[in-house]
Amino acid sequence: MATSEPIIVIDQLKKSYGKIQAVNGVSMSVEHGEIFGFLGPNGAGKTTTIRCMLDVIRPTRGTIRVLGLDAQRDKLELHQHIGYLPGDVHLPGQMTGKQIINYFSRLQGSEPVLLKDLVARFDVEMKRPLKGYSKGMRQKIGIVLAFMCDPQVLILDEPTSGLDPLLQKVFNEFLLEEQARGKTIFMSSHIMSEVEKVCHRIAVIRKGELVTVEEVETLREKAGQRVTVEFGDPVTEEELTRIPGVSMVKKINGHYQFNVSGSMDPLIKALSRHEVIRLQVEEAPLEEVFLKFYEEPEKTTTVTR
Amino acid sequence: MATTSISKSIPAPRKRARGLTITINSIINAKTPLAMGCFYGVLIALLLAALYPSISNVNLGAYLSSSVISGLIGGHITSFSSFTAFLGLELYSSFYGLLFGGIMAYIGGASLPINIENGTLDLALARPISRTRYYLESWLAALICGAIIGLFTVFAVWLDTLLLKNADINWQWLWITQLVQWAFFFFAAGLGMFLGSFINASRGAGGAAVGIIALGYLMSTFGNISDQFNWLLKISPFYYAPAIGPLVFHQLTWWHPLVLVAAGLVFGIAGLVIFNRRDLPAV
Repeated sequence: MATSEPIIVIDQLKKSYGKIQAVNGVSMSVEHGEIFGFLGPNGAGKTTTIRCMLDVIRPTRGTIRVLGLDAQRDKLELHQHIGYLPGDVHLPGQMTGKQIINYFSRLQGSEPVLLKDLVARFDVEMKRPLKGYSKGMRQKIGIVLAFMCDPQVLILDEPTSGLDPLLQKVFNEFLLEEQARGKTIFMSSHIMSEVEKVCHRIAVIRKGELVTVEEVETLREKAGQRVTVEFGDPVTEEELTRIPGVSMVKKINGHYQFNVSGSMDPLIKALSRHEVIRLQVEEAPLEEVFLKFYEEPEKTTTVTR
Repeated sequence: MATTSISKSIPAPRKRARGLTITINSIINAKTPLAMGCFYGVLIALLLAALYPSISNVNLGAYLSSSVISGLIGGHITSFSSFTAFLGLELYSSFYGLLFGGIMAYIGGASLPINIENGTLDLALARPISRTRYYLESWLAALICGAIIGLFTVFAVWLDTLLLKNADINWQWLWITQLVQWAFFFFAAGLGMFLGSFINASRGAGGAAVGIIALGYLMSTFGNISDQFNWLLKISPFYYAPAIGPLVFHQLTWWHPLVLVAAGLVFGIAGLVIFNRRDLPAV
């Protein structure tokens, strides 16, 4: 198995259903030991891309290579090294957690070496029939099924869906530990705040087309800082918008809120001409940058691989 | 909530034998229709033993020589003189194929779609399991269900011989009749697998397969009534699974059951090709 190339290479992936283009020319790569976030609104093509990676659906055009193996031609060898968590975990109601884990461990053809640790960490119910499980409980079983045989590559479709905030935190810590053990993780989500905590890079897909592939740190720089100012004298919105680096000016309950990218110096100099009662500076949420990718009609920004 | 840390010294996973995991799981999925098949097989056979002493005294000649009845039971019988004939009429006639063949068709049809519905197909195929293996193991499960239903029927007939002093069963021909019915089961399972390879709902695929078996039964019924409809009889699968001939008259056209096996194979293989080529839906 060749390992010199990136762990996951998707090249010009296209998938259409009749006239509907679900995925259109997506290309990206994921390096060894990386946690890669794949973001996009509902129906953007995230799950279609993931299902093509697993050969559950067949691409119309393009290739996917994982661990140097062709996702279609070499799938049996490849699937020995992959853990998969579907977007919506459905499980047969008549089986118990223990039975379903035993079933999939047998299909994997290897012992679930991480089972005890995963069950303890995520507090997984094993004895009850699955039909009584809540969405969160099913999701936990799904996580166990994906990780239990210690695969090299994890493909996770919206992994924290249905988990409570405490479990989301446990899951994020677990992902970072797995990354430290050399695992490569490809995870989709439609929530930026979810992936920015663990991912090094993200790709954004919209209407089947890749909008950007960026490092999370670069996105943070682009987002800049969020400033909240309460003035003692009258200041107009236009005056603030004219300051270099200032964007997204909003007036909320008598004070202004806006984003500043780049140097703060022009802003400080402009503010010094007014009476400032309160000034608050914090990191701007990436969600806003992310939403811009969702909303903008034309393709933007660079693709860095 | 526990916050145990994953041990850093994790052993490499040991290999685990897969065996016929999918087959066993498919049989478990089919447990309700399978149990129904076994239950009704035993129930009908035992009821016949209970009814036979009374019914053997009734003159049914006019009833049996009717072409309508011949059409319904799928074969001509003019005298009703033994328990074997009673078995041939009430258990192993066309009704056997209609009831148990229908159950087999349903099991075959639902076999794949039920795993789409319960979300396990995606998860299974994301493991080192080929679609061909998945399909063949599911098919095997349907055939095992057929074998179990057939064996339960034969067991019930054996129970009948304990209950009736004059049962007088020719076991060699009973097994041959049962083999012919297994050929019908093979056809029904293949038909079901074919429909299940492209229909995503288990009840839809199973129901469609049962519908085709029922249609075959109707064709057989009409075909037996008049020579004008002989062509209908020939294209019905029931024509190739005679029961009264081998069981009562000890006669069998040997290639008839082979037609069913061949048709079942064609359907099953066509289903395999479709299942291998298609995009599988999410839940």
